[in-house]
Amino acid sequence: MKLNYRYTIAYAVITFFVLSLGFAIVYAALSRSVTQATIGRLEHLNDVVASQLRGGSDSLRSFSRAAVRIQPLPAALGRPRTVAVRQEWDPALQARVAVVRLTTYPAVGGRVYAITSRASVVEPTDVYLTGLVLVFAWTFVFLLALVVILSELLSWRILRPFNATLRGIQQFQLSQKTPIDLPTSRTAEFEELNSFLVRMTARAQRDYQGLQEFSENASHELQTPIASIKAKIELLMDSDALAEKQLRLLAAMHDELERLAKINQALTLLAKLEHYEALPADLTDFSQLVPATEAAFADLAEMKGLRTTQQVVPGVRVPFDAALAQLLLNNLFSNAIRHNLPSGEIRVRLSATELLLANTGHAPTVPVEELFGRFKKGNAALDSIGIGLAIVKRIGELYGHRVGYEYAEGWHSVRVIFALPVG
Amino acid sequence: MKILLVEDHPELANSIASYLVQENYVCEVAATFDEAREKLVLFTYDVVLLDIMLPDGNGINLLKLLRKEGVESSVLIISAQNALDFKLTGLSEGADDYITKPFPLPELHARIKAIMRRRSPHKNNVVTFRDITADLESLECRVKGKLLNLTRKETNLLLYFIHNKGRMLTRQAIAAHLWGDYTDNLDSVDFVYQHVKNLRKKITDAGGQDYISTVYGFGYKLHAPD
Repeated sequence: MKLNYRYTIAYAVITFFVLSLGFAIVYAALSRSVTQATIGRLEHLNDVVASQLRGGSDSLRSFSRAAVRIQPLPAALGRPRTVAVRQEWDPALQARVAVVRLTTYPAVGGRVYAITSRASVVEPTDVYLTGLVLVFAWTFVFLLALVVILSELLSWRILRPFNATLRGIQQFQLSQKTPIDLPTSRTAEFEELNSFLVRMTARAQRDYQGLQEFSENASHELQTPIASIKAKIELLMDSDALAEKQLRLLAAMHDELERLAKINQALTLLAKLEHYEALPADLTDFSQLVPATEAAFADLAEMKGLRTTQQVVPGVRVPFDAALAQLLLNNLFSNAIRHNLPSGEIRVRLSATELLLANTGHAPTVPVEELFGRFKKGNAALDSIGIGLAIVKRIGELYGHRVGYEYAEGWHSVRVIFALPVG
Repeated sequence: MKILLVEDHPELANSIASYLVQENYVCEVAATFDEAREKLVLFTYDVVLLDIMLPDGNGINLLKLLRKEGVESSVLIISAQNALDFKLTGLSEGADDYITKPFPLPELHARIKAIMRRRSPHKNNVVTFRDITADLESLECRVKGKLLNLTRKETNLLLYFIHNKGRMLTRQAIAAHLWGDYTDNLDSVDFVYQHVKNLRKKITDAGGQDYISTVYGFGYKLHAPD
């Protein structure tokens, strides 16, 4: 969920609670003030009646006496006044309404009277309530609409540098030569984030390049001594003075050295592929390359007694560098032969969308997706270094092709699903 | 035949040089860019074996210099660079061939032979070993004048043996020669066994003597019994 949506929702919830509270306060205040206003009027009335009493004329017929009862009190009780509010049946209104009774105790001519006046109060129930709710509901709706629109506008404006930073991070690649490109911002937090990102990516790039240089240098520096040792063993082998026992020792050394060189080469190759910048505009004709590779491996397949069936659609051109495509196919074919059963089968199917290479073989001993890892082997007994599928996967990734591996009913299938050619 | 080896690693240069001398080449060694340039100005070489990473310069620049000055020598690059580097970057442009370290010495020898043959295709087209002859042009191989029906790989294998007669050829060296970049299969050595077996059978079937001997756990050798 986007940040400004979350803000909007939070704001809407807060607004709802605040408005509800406001509504409750207004309702309470309104009902209280109606009663208070009535009490104020009754006080005035009592004062009028009291002054009439003082004037000595208890004009019973006066209008003012309609809702006033006067009682002389036996003793001088100094009570200021009493207010009573009660629900009562009002015959004039034919309804139960709140009735306020105010009693004051003025002293007139040495005597204390209790003057009680009464009045009906129409409290803000029902109609009032509906009106109030409507006012608040509309306020809420308007506020909400305003919040939605403004948050969209404001977040677009305020979060613009943040979104630009996000895009910058997405486009950033560790292997690129230039530093990360982030726009400046006037917001302190974003500026801090940007400077942190710039520092961090610069360090990561530096480390990455260092590692890359190291792996390149290491493998390069290793190849020459290996070549030197190998040459010396070969020279030694040709001298006549060797007994068979010594020759066997030499042979073992030579084999190990060969293996070391292969591992070293494979790792350099992977390091090379790791930072190779693919040009997806290069197209390779797979319809021609696949049968050619199959033919190059035909004698190996034949010697193992494998049967190969090919289905190749003509004119399939796939984004690939020719050398990398060859490397990919070499690894796939040599795997299909190496991990096959004696007198097994290989199926090659090339369509416009994918290349499928399936071979018979033993069930894998590890989960198939792990076989894409380096030095992972499905069969420990085989004398391979287990890096072929990692190379295949990496080459596929370079051009956005997906490489999948599955095992079902005795068949191992490697599938290269082609990304669409650019342009 | 005169060869200039440009290689800064003294031990490797030593081994390659002594191997080439055994193969009857005249081999001189230059350890630096300057030394190599000086030698190339002063003398003429048939083949230059060129390492790319030199302490005082890049071998590729030396190659460019050679071509600019119209030096006729063939150039074979020997480098620790990956084969993919050559393919992806055209690193070997202007060179006759390249070989990546570590390489079997017999392979280097075979490559030099191939380069020399490309330079003068009509000279010395037939190689022989005892009663076996091989025509490099038509790729026909004969035993005592009788044509052998060999596959391309077997012909290639026989030529490799004849070029390196009397030398131990490891299974890996043969595999690398026959399949080159096509296979990084270490178990392709089993296929070498098959090919050698077939080749021997075809030679003996044609009435020839089996000059190929197996060195257990190691490889093969083409040599005439004394």
